[in-house]
Amino acid sequence: MKRKTVLIGGAGSAALALLGSGCSENEVGGPATLTFWHGYTEADGDVLQGIVDDFNASQSDITINTEVKTWASIDDTLLTALSAGEGPDIVAMPAERLPIYADKGAFVELTGFYADDSSNTANLIPGAVSMIEVEGTKYGVPTGFVPLAVYYNTALFEAGGVTAFPGTWDEWVATAKQLTVDEDGDGTPEQYGVVLPDHATVANGLWPSLFYGNGGDIVSEEIDAVIDSPENAATLEYWRKAIVDDKISPTGIDGVGADELFGAGKAAMTIGGPWMASIAAENGIDCAIAAIPAGPVTQAASAIGVSMAVTVDADDNARAAAEEFFAFFLNDENAAAWSLGSGWPPLRTDVPAEAVNSNPVVAALTEIADLGRPLLPGVVNSVDVLAAVDELTQRAIAGEDIDGLLAEAQETVQNAL
Amino acid sequence: MTTAPPTGRRYRPPAPLGGRRRVESPKHRTAIAAAFLAPALIVLGLFTIWPMLSALRLSFTDASGFGEPEWVGLENYIEVFTDPDLLGAVTNTALYTVLFTPVAVAAALGLALLLNNPRLPFRSFFRTALFVPFVVSFSVAAFAWSYLVDPQVGLLNYWLRGLGIQLGNVLEDPNLAMPMVVLVAVWKLFGFYFVIFLAGLQDIPTSIYEAARMDGAGVWSRLRNVTLPMLSNTMAFVLVFAMIAALQAFDQIYVMTGGGPYGSTQTLVMEIYESGFRKLEIGFASALSYVLLVATLLLSLAQFVFFGRKEKDLA
Repeated sequence: MKRKTVLIGGAGSAALALLGSGCSENEVGGPATLTFWHGYTEADGDVLQGIVDDFNASQSDITINTEVKTWASIDDTLLTALSAGEGPDIVAMPAERLPIYADKGAFVELTGFYADDSSNTANLIPGAVSMIEVEGTKYGVPTGFVPLAVYYNTALFEAGGVTAFPGTWDEWVATAKQLTVDEDGDGTPEQYGVVLPDHATVANGLWPSLFYGNGGDIVSEEIDAVIDSPENAATLEYWRKAIVDDKISPTGIDGVGADELFGAGKAAMTIGGPWMASIAAENGIDCAIAAIPAGPVTQAASAIGVSMAVTVDADDNARAAAEEFFAFFLNDENAAAWSLGSGWPPLRTDVPAEAVNSNPVVAALTEIADLGRPLLPGVVNSVDVLAAVDELTQRAIAGEDIDGLLAEAQETVQNAL
Repeated sequence: MTTAPPTGRRYRPPAPLGGRRRVESPKHRTAIAAAFLAPALIVLGLFTIWPMLSALRLSFTDASGFGEPEWVGLENYIEVFTDPDLLGAVTNTALYTVLFTPVAVAAALGLALLLNNPRLPFRSFFRTALFVPFVVSFSVAAFAWSYLVDPQVGLLNYWLRGLGIQLGNVLEDPNLAMPMVVLVAVWKLFGFYFVIFLAGLQDIPTSIYEAARMDGAGVWSRLRNVTLPMLSNTMAFVLVFAMIAALQAFDQIYVMTGGGPYGSTQTLVMEIYESGFRKLEIGFASALSYVLLVATLLLSLAQFVFFGRKEKDLA
């Protein structure tokens, strides 16, 4: 291993830096100033900035400047910025978007970094790592990996007389029915038991989660389309009946609409990520977190992933510096601090549960972290695959023939792959 | 009143300001013209011609925005014409054009005719008010309309509910999403066409109307036999502009529906955007852009030929 000796400063600062930062096969050959684009705009952004500031202060050669943008803006501007040579050196983005950029050559391979013992990557959650791999090559470092979970309004549960959170789909639907209120009897409930978007769901993960629960999937490990299956057909039938006939959820709603409905106190349950806890708090809603109930076959949830990568705009020196930062970001102290501050479960399996117990959201999500499955790992053209899933679920809930829709989706997904 | 030249000696016109009059050679005149044109030409060349040529080159490659693109010949163009997924985008673009163009042009013409009446009170106010949406950014207008029709918090839904009308979730309804994005485009753009029509109407000599009136022509007859024929050039211009705007529909669709629900508002420009910026297939997106450009040129040409013939017939 080529140990990187970055710091030329005093012995104290060098020791501090080497303690906190990791090493890679590259060496930082001199001062480096890096630009880091990310979309952490809430409290998580402050925590990340704190880690970056600590890193900058821990040594004298590398300075990382963060630029906060929305995730959508990063996706819209990264291509043009990199093409013009004006792109960032490090960029964070939703993990399912990383493979397409990696496949087109926008990101630098990190194989050597992962091979380095001091990179702090040995105990990363395997599912999180699988989201940054394209054909076996690693192109990024996870910054977040959390299974979708049910966020529920405890006051509405209490008012509805529900004392225990459901454990299976049947119990879930029964609970949702119990919590659905149509006071004026006009057929449109004023309060829904649950809000299940039929397209553009949070991190595109709701329907994959339901497919997993019944033993179905979208793409196999061999990167083949497997969406047209009897299991998925049964899943769609089951939830169409619950949503349309039993009216446990509004129809034609997307992920953003679901967040709004839950925030307005008009839905007792929603499926989302850690930020739902903040949305609930902002709206004065007492909220608790539970795993998505088990389907007939298994209990699983699609995970929301965020990863950061080094772009081709970074020269060798900047690449080495970026790897220094990644190792620092993943070290023992920061792994726990990032988890606690961001509200996401720890990215490393060796961070003990007690280390993050002080944040109830993190503690609850850490408990169910094992249920998380990466969404479309290794799939480069996730755009068309997810669009096909969106179209399938939206049309299925709208009442179209499920078998025909699945056959169509199978062809579209296979073509995309 | 005219001023007679001074008598007693031969009149000489005054020398132009700036001293003696120079005798300019054609070469010199060309150089001056070129100097005046240069700034505009440089901007046009840098920001229009060069990107167009660059896109043309990219359309024959597998460019992704990263690394050196490889030459793939006509592969991208073949894909454009054989990709079954594009058929939906072509159909949606055609539908958008068919809905948008006549509605926007008819609304603009109707209001221009109405507000051309000098006896109408508050004419200037109405004219300004109708033009204001054109000044607003398309994205801002789209966001505003999204909130207006939101099923939970939208004012339009709230008002209509008061009248017993359930609008529902317009932007998530595959039958209503397209008319909705067209409506926003009409609201946003017709003010521009309205102003063009207004200018065209004011160019029609009042003596023709007076003559028609003396011949006993009524309002409808004057419109059919005087106004519309005299507006044919303006009409051709507005129709071509409206059609081009329709073929390039993107902004409000991106903001309001993202091409959904399930592809019902996915137009060709949305497809270009997704291919280029989401799938990073810049070569294919460039080829698709050129196909759209050629189609737009041909359609515009056809309209000009049609109106040119009509004008000849009138003459």
